[in-house]
Amino acid sequence: MDREILRHLEMLNQLQLTEEQKEAALAFFAAREQDNALLDTIDTENVERMVHVMPIMTVVREDVVKQTFTREALQQDAPETDEGYWCVPRVVE
Amino acid sequence: MQYETVIGLEVHVELATNSKIFCSCSAHSFGAEPNAHVCPACCGMPGMLPVVNKRVVDYGMKAGLMLNCDINRVTTFDKKSYYYPDLPAAYQTTQWFAPVAVNGLVEIETSKGKKQVRIKQIHMEEDAGKLVHDIREDTTHVDYNRTSVPLIEIVSQPDLSSAEEVEAYLERLKTLLRYAKVAECEMAHGTMRCDVNLSVRPAGSDVLGVRTEMKNMNSVEAIKRAIEYETARHIDAIENHTEVLVQETRRWDDIKGKSYAMRTKETAGDYRYFPDPNVMPVVIDDEWFDRIKASLPEFPEVKRARYMDEYGLTAYDAEQLTKSIALCECFEAAYSVCKNAKDAANWSISEVMSILNVRKMTYDQLNINGHALGELILLVSEGKVGRANGKKILAAMFEDTALQPLSFAEANHMIMSNDTGLIESVAKAVVEADPKAVSDYKSGKEKALMALFGKCMKELKGNCDPQTLREILVNIVNAQ
Repeated sequence: MDREILRHLEMLNQLQLTEEQKEAALAFFAAREQDNALLDTIDTENVERMVHVMPIMTVVREDVVKQTFTREALQQDAPETDEGYWCVPRVVE
Repeated sequence: MQYETVIGLEVHVELATNSKIFCSCSAHSFGAEPNAHVCPACCGMPGMLPVVNKRVVDYGMKAGLMLNCDINRVTTFDKKSYYYPDLPAAYQTTQWFAPVAVNGLVEIETSKGKKQVRIKQIHMEEDAGKLVHDIREDTTHVDYNRTSVPLIEIVSQPDLSSAEEVEAYLERLKTLLRYAKVAECEMAHGTMRCDVNLSVRPAGSDVLGVRTEMKNMNSVEAIKRAIEYETARHIDAIENHTEVLVQETRRWDDIKGKSYAMRTKETAGDYRYFPDPNVMPVVIDDEWFDRIKASLPEFPEVKRARYMDEYGLTAYDAEQLTKSIALCECFEAAYSVCKNAKDAANWSISEVMSILNVRKMTYDQLNINGHALGELILLVSEGKVGRANGKKILAAMFEDTALQPLSFAEANHMIMSNDTGLIESVAKAVVEADPKAVSDYKSGKEKALMALFGKCMKELKGNCDPQTLREILVNIVNAQ
């Protein structure tokens, strides 16, 4: 992790970090890199790949349509709506 | 220098389920009010948990088997992060580490012969919402009806090398997925979408050139034009240094016939894929896998061979029928009633297709009842209804799928008359009203008889055996 990667992550996450937050983030990632280096020392040659940390599988549901919410209920806290749409700042020129 | 184009496709196909992939909202929002089919889950509200739609996994597996893939019996969902208002949770739930199907193979045929295209993977994922930019100048309007509608993305290896091959590949995908009834695959409706990854390299080289990804092609024709344009642009850049090629996503403008840079291509790392902790792995046990495998349809080639072998159809007829599963089903249902494969094939290919063309419908929009078609074929072949009226009845069957051909023919006075007395009286009247036609015929003009024949048929509303009418008519004319 370096300042260049951190700047890229800021861009991807739509964040603007203060100098203090950047220092904290760099220290945090440096510590995680040390943890990862420790993991790299473990021999995993014959260990089966784990797809999930819990030994459980998902439940599935039948393909049946149910209307559980109304649009009005979902949009009641929206800052702005118009003709049934949510409104956001314009994203294209 | 000779160049070769290297093309890989990412094809998104909307699965034909009733409900969305992770919630119970309707997956069909065509014509619906904006945000009429939404809930906290598909709107990305915090704390909501997704529950996998079983039929999505059924269809993902089925698509994989149709495309000769291996099925991952433990398949998992992952989060793909990016920020855009069409994605309310700021991540798309998709499959990255263990997609439902991998390592497939699809055979295509072009003017250069047969070719095998490798499928890297098929993964299940949720669609994004729709953004509307033209309601107000300062605002983007967001409709989440389409959010979480189930998709599969079919990722090919870069095995294609021309627009013709791409067209053949897309047609093959459409046919196979429609046979399996997992998707509509209609590009005009947005239920099949295609991104083209393309690069150019000197012929014979094994080093790939700079790759660009093109989006926004809404038809196979637009895809072909985009491939031809982009290939020429790459070659021009390589040979004449007109621009520096960079790995990027480009938008195809079909009206201007040009592609435009949209954004520098993100790398997979930029999406920060990680296992979705809210969806546990989907484990496909033997019972589930076997049930899906047993539900696969007869493949087009197998069906074609069977039609020739079992029904004695020509290669041409078998080829025409097996282009569409809907047409096959219509033919088979008609045959089960009329028991005459040649007639059932002729009506399905000639008459049904000509009405589809007039109505600008595709084969797969065919909605007539095949059993009723079989009854109609019987009425015509047994001489109860004339062929011309038979065609009219068929056209009416497109309007009313419950139409019973016999009842319709009776109600509309289309049943052929065996009443030779009636035919004779009509023929006599027609002949007496046109002495010139009689003399013309007698002086050797065969067409004059046909004119009289046509008038008689018109008077009888087509409801008479043509051979009987002709015999009666000739006798009356000769007796004049």
